[in-house]
Formats: sequence, C-alpha cells, structure tokens
Amino acid sequence: MMAIQYWRNKDRYYRLIGVSCTRCGRDFFPPVYRCRKCGSEELKDKEMPKEGKIVTFTRLYETLPGFETQAPLNLAIVELKNGVKVLGQVVDTPEELLKIGAHVRAVFRRIRVDGESGQILYGYKFVVEHVDARRETG
Amino acid sequence: MKSREKVAIHGYGAYIPYYRLPTTEIARVWKGGGSGPNVEKAVAAIDEDTVTMAVEAARYAVRMAGIERLGAIFVGTESKPYAVKPTSTIVAQALGQHFTLAADLEFACKAATEAMQIVTGLVGSGMIDAGLAIGVDTAQGRPGDDLEYTAASGGAAYVIGRKDGNQIATIECSTSFVSDTGDFWRRAHERYPRHLSRFTGEPAYFYHIENAVKALLEETGLRPSDFKYAVFHQPNPRFPVEVAVRLGFNTDQVKCGLLNPLIGNTYAGSSPLGLAAVLDEASPGERILLASFGSGAGSDAFYITVSEGIERKRGINPTVKSMLERCAKIDYSTYAKFRGKLIK
Ligand SMILES: [Zn+2]
Repeated sequence: MMAIQYWRNKDRYYRLIGVSCTRCGRDFFPPVYRCRKCGSEELKDKEMPKEGKIVTFTRLYETLPGFETQAPLNLAIVELKNGVKVLGQVVDTPEELLKIGAHVRAVFRRIRVDGESGQILYGYKFVVEHVDARRETG
Repeated sequence: MKSREKVAIHGYGAYIPYYRLPTTEIARVWKGGGSGPNVEKAVAAIDEDTVTMAVEAARYAVRMAGIERLGAIFVGTESKPYAVKPTSTIVAQALGQHFTLAADLEFACKAATEAMQIVTGLVGSGMIDAGLAIGVDTAQGRPGDDLEYTAASGGAAYVIGRKDGNQIATIECSTSFVSDTGDFWRRAHERYPRHLSRFTGEPAYFYHIENAVKALLEETGLRPSDFKYAVFHQPNPRFPVEVAVRLGFNTDQVKCGLLNPLIGNTYAGSSPLGLAAVLDEASPGERILLASFGSGAGSDAFYITVSEGIERKRGINPTVKSMLERCAKIDYSTYAKFRGKLIK
C-alpha cells in the first residue's frame, strides 16, 4: 500500500515536480490545485530548482518507524532558489557545515526500504555544498 | 569497430560517494594490522545504491551535454538493487525520459564500456540522436576476503550523440575481446562473488586487455606513443600500470586516470571514472586509450580524441578531483552498518 501511494507521486519525489501558476508565476511544492497567491486554477507542472539554502534544521536521534537505520539524521527546511520551502533530510555533510544559510543541492537517495523483499522508495535529500564544489557547479 | 556515422561524447558525469574506508581498518579487523593494496576505498552511504549513484552521475552528464531527448539509457552494473526490476527504468524516470530504450547490462567490471559501444552503434546507425551509457557499482566483498579491500562504490555516465561540433570528444574506434575464463563469478542467490586468486592476473586481466588493445592498435594503425592518456580497468593499483608497460605505454600516460589507490575498484564504474578524470584534464586534439576488463571475461578498448567543445563545457560539473577531496573517513563498524553487513 505504502509503495502504491508513493509510486503515484514519484515525479514529485524523484524530480521535485511541483506546479507554477500561469497567471502570477508563483511556484508551489508540493503541487496545489488553486494558486494560494492569486486564486487562479491555471497551474502547470514545473520542475523545482535543485539548489537552495537551509532555513532551519534539527538532528533526530529518534526516528519514525522505517528510518531507524538512518539515525541520527539531519532534517532541514530548505528554501529553494524560487522561494519554495521544502522539508528534507541532509546527508553527507560534516557537522561544522550544517548551519542556517548553508547552500544545499538536492540529491537522489533511498528514502526507505520496505524490508528485505519489498520495494525500495527513492526521493530527494539535500547535501551541503562545499565552497569548492559550489564554485565548480557555478 | 567503427560506426558508419561519426559518434561522440557530449557530456560526462562522475560520482564518487562521500565516505572512505581506509584499508588499514579492514586489515585491523581481519588480520590484526597491515593494509590492502589501495590506501582507501569509496563506500556508498546507507541510503545509496546503484540506482541513486547512476542518477547522480547521469544528471551531471545530461547537464553538460545539454541534450534533452535520450533515445537509450543503459546501466552497466553487477550490483542491481533488484534481482528482477530494471535499474535503468528508475534512472529514466528520475531523468524524466520515457520514450527511451532502457536496459541493464551485466559483465562485471566491463558492463559500462559495452553500454558505450551499444549506444555508439545506435547513434552511428541513425536509430537515435543521443543516448546515455552508465557504469556504476556498489561492489561488495565477503568480509575478510581479499576482495573486501578493493570492492568499492562509484561510477560515471556518458551522453553519446552524433558528432556535430558540440562534442567534447570523438569515439573513433573500439574493439572487444572475450573468452570463457572462470576467474570471477557469483551464482544466483549468493550474496558475494567468488574468485580464483591465482587466475585473476595472467589468463584473465592481462590476456583480455592485451588482446583488445593490440587489436585496436592494429585497426587504427596507432602506436602507444600516439596517445597522451591511457586508462585501464583498475582492480588494484598494480595491474593497470603493469599492463600499460607490457603494451608499450609508460606510467605517465596512466597516472592521470589511475584512481584505485584512493577509491578502490568501483567495478563497472572503474575505467569510466578513470576516463572522467582524464577528460577533466585533457586538451583538444589529445588521444585517449580506454580499456575495460570484466571478469568472466573480456575487454573493450576505445580510441577517443578530445574535441574543442571540452574547453566550453569545462567547469559545468564538479571534477573527479573535487569528489576525491570531498570525503569523510569511516571505521569498519560504520562501513558494516552502511553496507548491510550487520544482522539485526
Ligand atoms: Zn497565481
């Protein structure tokens, strides 16, 4: 059941597909059916930018069921380049680089695994960019 | 083998995971001291696998290529997360590609270069405009086995399309040489591969690479000294240097693409990652020799020339060097947790 619900939204998790209002240009993620700014229902799918910065973060030592092996894990609210805020895990980042305002990039990771025989659910997480890496990715 | 129409590389992307296990850690646990042939090996995090690393490398490659439609996506690997369910279709979905020929290829460490040859054939025949060839592995060795020191994670992706002036390098020619050699295998339902230690060198690695490269030199009329760079499959730090010297290349030609001492053997990702490190440095007009080796056994050899486009596209993606530098060391117990070697 979990896998089926997840599968229906896979483009959201795999590619950060949200929507953009064709009237006022505001982007939304996750997708909405009606623009929260101008009320228009003319919205089209849009891939969100993969870069942003950390608005706030926390470190979880106790996790929801299914995430135990990933503990302790960092959870952050990230403001993407288009102003949209997303909640996501921050991985591959030393503690000293994990701070408010740090530049992050979305990466493709396993979100959770349904036991030994079930499906593997993939989605976005974030990595804090090192200064060097940021320079090189422009 | 040469395609009828000229085929070229338009973009490439490397991926080396963040974590490194020093081989002194493996030796400490299993032998009470010492080290492996390589200094460290790259280890995928607990939430990484062949699919996630393939997607990361592919996103870089597609971004550099600036090509929107991919007519084919091949993932070469021996560490698919599913025994039944393709890896390539998950990668395709993550890239937003649907009208594409997607398939997984298997030939141990040679799986990526055969993906490159197949895409070259599809583009060269005019069936597709561009395609993606990916080589990636989360290689695993049985705890305490010789393979555990080198079996590593990582890979690279290549967007291959028509030679149209935007390419970064041209695939001029390739050859393949195969035989039934039983030096490395894994039976169905087995978790770890097995190998015949004394067999791995002479009748396997050297025999196949030497035959593929000699055939390539014969077909192209080139000599080892005509190449600026040579990249050979890297099961350990010693073999690629030794095969180079035997074939008449020198150690300077091999140095740039030799990553094994720092990351170990990334199997299907090994020679493609070496090629990526070379492309990070190479200049237009320079010739590159690439030779893979897959246990079981065979080798694909390529003659590649660097094009002007490389100067324009340099800096779009992080370099292999920056991925080598951006890392954190872990101990054996963290590695055991990450790679599922602990039973709860
Ligand atoms: Zn609106």
